[in-house]
Amino acid sequence: MSDLLAATSTTLGVPEDLVRRSAEARAAEAGSNVDEILTAWGGGEAIVVTSSAAPEPPPSVEVSSEPPAQQEDVAPDIVIETPPAQTAPMATAPPGTYQPPVLVGAPDKPGMIILGAIGLFLVVLMMGLIGPSVATDEPGSRTSEIPYSQTAVNGQRVYASLGCAACHTQMVRPVVADVGLGAVTLNDTNQVVGDRRFGPDLSDVGTRMTSSQLEATVTGDTTKHPPHNLAPKDMTALVAYLLESRNSEG
Amino acid sequence: MGEDDSRVAANHLVTGAFFLVLGGGLQLLSLMSLRFADIFPITYGRLEPMANLTLMIGFVSISLIGGIYYVLPRLTGARLSVSSLARFELFGIAGLVLVGLLAIGFGFGTGGQPFGLPWWINLPMTLLLAVPALVTIGTISDRSENRSYVTLWFVLGGVIWLPLLYLAFSSGDLPYLSSTAVAYTDVFFSAGFVTMFLFTVGTGLFYYTMVRELDVSLASRQLALVGFWSLGFAAVWWGTAQLMFGPGPSYLSGVGAALGLAFPIGALANAANASLTLEGAWDKVRDRPDLRAGVLGLYLGVGVAVMAALAGFRSIASVAALTGFWQAIEYAAISGVGTLLIASVSFSAVPRLFGRELYTRRTKTFLTLTLTGSVGVLVFMAASGLVSGYSWIGGSNSGAYVDVGEGWGAGLGGSVETMMLIAVGFAIVTFFGQLAYAATIIGTVTQGKAATQEVLVAKATVDE
Repeated sequence: MSDLLAATSTTLGVPEDLVRRSAEARAAEAGSNVDEILTAWGGGEAIVVTSSAAPEPPPSVEVSSEPPAQQEDVAPDIVIETPPAQTAPMATAPPGTYQPPVLVGAPDKPGMIILGAIGLFLVVLMMGLIGPSVATDEPGSRTSEIPYSQTAVNGQRVYASLGCAACHTQMVRPVVADVGLGAVTLNDTNQVVGDRRFGPDLSDVGTRMTSSQLEATVTGDTTKHPPHNLAPKDMTALVAYLLESRNSEG
Repeated sequence: MGEDDSRVAANHLVTGAFFLVLGGGLQLLSLMSLRFADIFPITYGRLEPMANLTLMIGFVSISLIGGIYYVLPRLTGARLSVSSLARFELFGIAGLVLVGLLAIGFGFGTGGQPFGLPWWINLPMTLLLAVPALVTIGTISDRSENRSYVTLWFVLGGVIWLPLLYLAFSSGDLPYLSSTAVAYTDVFFSAGFVTMFLFTVGTGLFYYTMVRELDVSLASRQLALVGFWSLGFAAVWWGTAQLMFGPGPSYLSGVGAALGLAFPIGALANAANASLTLEGAWDKVRDRPDLRAGVLGLYLGVGVAVMAALAGFRSIASVAALTGFWQAIEYAAISGVGTLLIASVSFSAVPRLFGRELYTRRTKTFLTLTLTGSVGVLVFMAASGLVSGYSWIGGSNSGAYVDVGEGWGAGLGGSVETMMLIAVGFAIVTFFGQLAYAATIIGTVTQGKAATQEVLVAKATVDE
């Protein structure tokens, strides 16, 4: 067996002891003997064939994340599915190609990873999304809901579709930076909260600007605001929404 | 059968490169529209979600899914399960991204962040994003091995979390959700996508690339374990910090600041693991663009994670929240870390899948420009955000901004605008880096020198 082992080792470019242990493990699993396995591997079926286009890279041995000392009782070390050629002609890789090694690590249960991942997601979902979203005050006791007209509600849709929330918040926080912007926004707000403030906060814009000023701003006539060319109906609705955004008068 | 699997992976990676160029261009335009508002027919409010959709779903998701399809057979020894579904998933997601761009551009978007798509796009998108989970779990169930390399955890976690995240994100369209819930849905998805999918899968794929290319052992399975679960747990906290002091419950401040530290812990664990693994092989890393890209991506990821975690503390959040500081982090995470980690697996996989050598004429350009550009945007946009925040505080104290509200343009003199202008300059640099990435991928496929091709001959195939 030693000659065969040496030949296979040379063919595969893998140390003899690794080849021997892998072949033994494979033979035990397949119910055949080690020589048959070595013959199949040494023949090169499904492992490596010569390349007509470029130098052939040596086949790699999979690398485990565990230190070698801990792997002594773990088999097999080489996991290249290579049945005997006579029973599996399909296993031969075409010329100019080679079969990649299979990279494996330590014994593991992917089912636990799946369960853990789903469980973790649910925990994160509860703490980071559902928890913050649940109203904490009794209805009517403290509210930042604004009684918008139907035209203004339509305008809120225009506000959303234009992507106004990409630059404007409708969220006044109890911090120094937001002093004077209006009443603090509570979690029952019906405004478009947003998380960016490249432009001014619009929670209370209705108390600061007139409809003509708002329209001039939206069309980009008076400020650095990007121009929006809206249909008259949409412009009316949007201006109504902004004009009725008066959270300091609640 | 193996060729089919390889083709599926290759098609994903090439399609991802196309979307990177498209998304990078849109992102550049959106940043320019912030500074030069009146020169674009489409405003920032639509350009930004269009760019986010293209980069997050079109580029990052499709490319990482391609990377997953590339490594799965190489980790399990089994052919891809339901690979026909995987092919359909690529066409489906790519098509929906293009339809989504039109929908947002023509005003059918919902206005949400990072992109608000109508329900008739969100629904099929959620289903399509679940396909990689089916393929992954099916492939693992077909494997003959009972041992897992660490990459398999990262891949499994990522493909399970992605559709769940998107499902939670899509729930923001439900009519009975409160405005507060919608806001939290948006930041939940943005943050979760970066940590639970991009960082997780990108790091896992780099663990494969590194060990495979250098033929070395991974330094520590335990560190990888810490990195994996920390990234998963860090998901939402740096997102909710953006809404700190907002309409959410006050407990979020304390909890978010503490748990947000899981983000840098995860990123650091993975970067340290990679560094330990590469000990003694750094000279080889310098010669390998795939390894260099991965290492740079991991290190940049640590910087991004530290900044995000710091901003979760109340004192910093009171200044940085709602400003360009957060946009800087998101930019660096996706256009910097994401591009580098994806380039790592692409530069390793595409030559093997096509049987051609890597087209290296643009790789150095790609690495230099991507790193320089994304770090430049990160620094200057974050700085502009901090100046905005301090200006708001000063303005509110003095009453200067009370009559007009506040905005980033209200920063000290013209300093914020100047910093944003510099950031736009760095974004242009990044865009050229993205072009270099696409040139490398396309160049490899069309002009790369012939080399040995890697063909899968899996046991399942033989048994048939």
